[in-house]
Amino acid sequence: MSEFAEAFSWFVVQQTGARSAKVITFEKLSGGAIQDNFGLTLEIEGGERAGTQHFVVRQDAPSGVAESLSRPEEFRVLQAAFEAGVTVPEPLWLCENLEVSGQMFYVMTWAEGSASPRKLVKSDLTEEQRRTIVRRLGAELARLHNVRPPVQSLDFLALPDPENAALSRVAIYRRHLREIGEPHPVLEWALNWLEDNSPEPGPTVLCHCDFRTGNYMMAGETLTAVLDWEFAAWSDPAEDLGWFCSRSWRFGANEREAGGVGEKQDFLDGYREAGGIEIDPTAVSYWEVMALVRWATIALQQARRHMSGEQRSLELALTGRMVAQMEFDLLTQIQDLEDGQ
Amino acid sequence: MINQPEAHDLLTEARRVLLESLAPELTGERKYEALMIANAMGMAIRELEFNAQNKAEEADRAVLSLLETHGLPGHNVECESSLADAVRERQLEGGSVALRKVLRTLTEARLGINSPGYLKR
Repeated sequence: MSEFAEAFSWFVVQQTGARSAKVITFEKLSGGAIQDNFGLTLEIEGGERAGTQHFVVRQDAPSGVAESLSRPEEFRVLQAAFEAGVTVPEPLWLCENLEVSGQMFYVMTWAEGSASPRKLVKSDLTEEQRRTIVRRLGAELARLHNVRPPVQSLDFLALPDPENAALSRVAIYRRHLREIGEPHPVLEWALNWLEDNSPEPGPTVLCHCDFRTGNYMMAGETLTAVLDWEFAAWSDPAEDLGWFCSRSWRFGANEREAGGVGEKQDFLDGYREAGGIEIDPTAVSYWEVMALVRWATIALQQARRHMSGEQRSLELALTGRMVAQMEFDLLTQIQDLEDGQ
Repeated sequence: MINQPEAHDLLTEARRVLLESLAPELTGERKYEALMIANAMGMAIRELEFNAQNKAEEADRAVLSLLETHGLPGHNVECESSLADAVRERQLEGGSVALRKVLRTLTEARLGINSPGYLKR
C-alpha cells in the first residue's frame, strides 16, 4: 500500500513541478470491484499546487470487466463531462506509464460526501429537498447529453448500430445471454418485448450508462460528484433516464421512482428545464425494462465469474441468485405497461 | 445410507448459531459478511425443502404442458431450456396469457427460494 502512496506522490510531484510532497494520509476507498480508488492527502512544497491537497487516485484492479472502459478512456470521458459542466471530480493527470505503479491510473480532485445508496434512501428528507435533489440529478444528465458525436478525444466510443441504440442493446444482451448458456425464458421473453416495442430513437448523445443512486456523492442534500464513468457510451438519452428510474436502483423505496429518492416527474422536469431533449415518458418506461434486462445479464455474468473459478466470491454467487427478482420485476413492469398504468 | 442429523437440520442449526450468537458480536464489514453467509444458508435450506416437496417437478410439469399445447417436444431434464428456445424463436406467440402464467410460476418458485420477502412487497 505504502509503495503505491510513494509512487502516486512521486507522480504528482512530476506533474505539478513541485520540489517535494509528503504523504499525509493514504487509504483504499470502498466500492469499485473493477477499479481500486485511493484517497491521497499530500503536503506539497512548491509547484502549481503547493499546500495541503486531497486527491483520489483511480487505478485498475487485478480483475476487470472486459466491456468497461480502460483508465485512459475513462479519463477522457471524465474530461468531456467536466467540460460539459457536469458535477464531477476534476480530472487532473493520467499516467499510462506502467513503470510508475504497475497499473495505469489517473488522479482527480477529492469530492466530499458519501455515495451510500442506503444512507441517502433512508435519510429523513422533506418532499421539497427530494424534489431539489432529483431535479438537480436530471439537470446533470441534461448537461452531459449536450455532448454529441463526433468528439475527437472520444473516438474510441463505438456508435450504436444500426442507428437505433435500443435494438443495438437488444442484440448485445441476446449475445450475452447466449454466451452465459443458462436458460432464462423470462429474459428471452422480455427481449422479444423490447424488440417489438422500441420507441422512436432519440438523438445519439454521450451517456453515462450507470447513472444511478449509489454512483453519485452527496454531502447532506447537496450533490458533490457523479462517479463511475467506466460504462459511458454513445447512446439514446432515454437510456440514462430509464436506468436511473429502474426498479433495481430504488433500494427498497419502490414508490420513489427516481432512484428511490424522489418523483420521476420532478427528475424529468429537472432534465427538460436544464436543456435536455424532449423525451416521451413511455420511452423512459421502455428503457426501465431494458435496464432490468441489462442488470440481469450483468448479474448472471458475475455469478459465472464465481462458478468458473475465475473469481470465487460469495457476493458474486449471491448476485446470481438475485436474477429472479429482476425477472419478477420484468413480468410485473411489462404487464403494467401493457395495462396502461 | 442413514446419516443423521440430516443436511437440512445441520444447516438450520448452523444458521441459527451464526445469527443468534456470532453475528451480534460483529460490526462493519465482518457483520455484513456474516449476514451474507446466513442469507446463502437460508437459500440452501429453502432449496432443500423445495426439492423435498417435489415442487421442482410441479414447475417442470407446467412448462411441459405449455410446450405440448404448441406441439413442441420437451422432457423434464431440459424443459426450461426448451422453453427458453421456444420463446426466443417465438413459437409460443399465440398463447401469450398461458406463457406469462408459466413464466410467473417459474419466477415465483425461484423467488420463494432466493428471496421470499420479495414476493410480499
